[in-house]
Amino acid sequence: MSDDRTVLTEVATGLFRDLCTPGDVVAAEATGWSERLWSALTESGFPLVSVPEEAGGSGGDVADACALLTVAGRFAAPAPLAETGLLGGWALAAAGLELPEGPLSVAVGAPGDAVELAGRRFSARLSRVPWGGRSDRVVALAGSGGQRFVVSAPTAAATVTNGRNLAAEPRDTLVWDDVGLPDDAFAPAPPGVDGAALRLRGALARAALIAGALARVAELTVRYTGERQQFGRPVARFQAVQAHLVTIAEEAELAGLAVSVAALNARPDPSFLDVAAAKAAAGEAATIAARASHQAHGAIGMTKEYELGQLSRRLWSWRDEFGSERYWSRELGHRLAAAGADALWPSISTGLVSEPASSPEGSFA
Amino acid sequence: MQFAPTVLTPAEEALRAEVREFLAAELPAGHRPALGFAGRHDPEFSRTLAERGWVGMAIPPRYGGHGRSAVDRFLVAEELLAAGAPIGAHFVADRQTAPALLHFGTEEQRQRFLPGIAAGEVYFSLGMSEPDSGSDLASVRTRATRVEGGWTVTGTKVWTSEAHRNHFFAVLCRTSPVEEGRKHAGLSQLIVDLSAPGVRISPIPYLDGSHHFNEVALEDVFVPDDMVLGELGSGWQQVTSELAYERSGPDRWLSTFPVLREWLRERGAAVSGEEAVVLGRLAARFRAIRQLSLSVARALDGGSAPVVEAALVKDVGTRFEQDLVEALREAAETELDQGSRSLFPSLLAEAVLTSPSYTLRGGTTEILRSVAAKGLAA
Repeated sequence: MSDDRTVLTEVATGLFRDLCTPGDVVAAEATGWSERLWSALTESGFPLVSVPEEAGGSGGDVADACALLTVAGRFAAPAPLAETGLLGGWALAAAGLELPEGPLSVAVGAPGDAVELAGRRFSARLSRVPWGGRSDRVVALAGSGGQRFVVSAPTAAATVTNGRNLAAEPRDTLVWDDVGLPDDAFAPAPPGVDGAALRLRGALARAALIAGALARVAELTVRYTGERQQFGRPVARFQAVQAHLVTIAEEAELAGLAVSVAALNARPDPSFLDVAAAKAAAGEAATIAARASHQAHGAIGMTKEYELGQLSRRLWSWRDEFGSERYWSRELGHRLAAAGADALWPSISTGLVSEPASSPEGSFA
Repeated sequence: MQFAPTVLTPAEEALRAEVREFLAAELPAGHRPALGFAGRHDPEFSRTLAERGWVGMAIPPRYGGHGRSAVDRFLVAEELLAAGAPIGAHFVADRQTAPALLHFGTEEQRQRFLPGIAAGEVYFSLGMSEPDSGSDLASVRTRATRVEGGWTVTGTKVWTSEAHRNHFFAVLCRTSPVEEGRKHAGLSQLIVDLSAPGVRISPIPYLDGSHHFNEVALEDVFVPDDMVLGELGSGWQQVTSELAYERSGPDRWLSTFPVLREWLRERGAAVSGEEAVVLGRLAARFRAIRQLSLSVARALDGGSAPVVEAALVKDVGTRFEQDLVEALREAAETELDQGSRSLFPSLLAEAVLTSPSYTLRGGTTEILRSVAAKGLAA
């Protein structure tokens, strides 16, 4: 990890440790929001890491943003960190649109969504928008007159129907009914800014959150099974329980490394192969590790107060968001099949790609 | 945990390209790939590889080797395994015996064995398991008795892969009686010539009928003093560290890759959505496990001893090798026949029959998990 990224991770860990305790996470569930946490994140510039400084962002690259998300996942942070920077901020900056002061969200096209832009008249129905009702703007892509536009749709002009994921994080449905957009709310989408690219970024972001949560699940389970005594000894001494600990560690490490490689290879943008593989692997890891950790914890894991449930409910949600493991496996499978049997091994054995000679080292805050 | 992302250097990339090019010429499309490191025993192929410098890579040049890094070895091994190359003759000697000789062997032993191993000409089997001693190696009963100039060894080793084709094996045996409460003490490793008088090798037919396993009965086999490997009485420590060498390499997750590739070749580009899910899922996990395994090789080169990491990779890797077989069986929806004329179904049949061994050889899943869990709690 670069020195900058190590510092970033340490600083972020300190911030979340202070402002995003398990108690804070439970407390935030009523509204899906912690203003105190979001203000602190905004002050530190974290939400806009990976968005260029000249566009009003905090600088840094995709790997910096993913390192932050991994910390956020570990702390089950109730905040649209990925949506504001890595996804929405990226699209707005690329299109030359202004970044709003507050949180941003993004829609990549859930089934049944519709977006219509005619001149400056905007109509849309966007579902499962993360923290949609809490955001200042929602970034969406719209085709109009044969051209693709990035739209920064004002949430204030939308009708919001609240929804939640399994961890009570807001996933709202927003409807704009023939709203007039101001000039600064839409611009032609530059090449490379499209639905597929946004979805890739979303999938990478969720995989990074999963990796962080899995690392914490692994720690919690080792700690608990080392302390919990039954039959006169810590349950971690039983082979059957050890099998769970090992499974969780394997899945956590596997997902963590897949995400790191995908993030580090994103120079400047994440690649399909890396992200599809990382999200598929992380989604599968989430399922396996959540199950094993609950089994190892017993009933305490089923309580709202205990930290495990905050993490496992997120794992069960994040694995499906921005494409489930089945979705990404299918996409990846079709791509690999099209490339043919003899290209399979070269694809699998492509890991971290060496740094291009002219890679700019950005700062992050 | 020490799993760090690692990038290949230009020299490493070049090595990989060279191996790929060699294999493309050596193993033309349509050849029947071997499944895993024990898949096929082919001395000629081993010698050809050795001529290229791809056997004994970790052995220093003064012993006929090449002094290469763990990552270089990793890259060569993964190309060979992915291609299904027949590496069974030299692989165990290269992976396991050579490092043991380098760590524990005498100068004389190194000079005697290492050049032959590096030349792809001297092959070793492992002499650990016995009829009553599997994962609990400390319970071995084979014993060596002191005689003039050396030892006589008596006992029975089982599941000894390729003993009927290999030249030597390192026998774990008792050189002094069991002491109360110190069952790991008094064990030693002796290098036994498989053609020595008193060595009787008989096949134990493998479940698919092939000859792979053997019983090796030793009856007063004379082993000279200079064939004691390492310290007398340190056999247990040596063997457990020997198990660590073999844990996390590509041989622990690539054994069944050729089945996947040949399935894809048979299916062609127009896979169904369901088949694409199977292919993508397996490929995603392959990539992730490979990255873990590669990072262990890099950590070894950096001088660390990632024991827990290696155990995790072996556990997750060998179970994945088996999962792959089941996933393809489900996707293929066909009755299996090893004699099938088509490559994929016959490979799949072979994989179904041999894959249970993947989570047994080199330390069972259960033992590995105990090792790893203790490390995780530490």
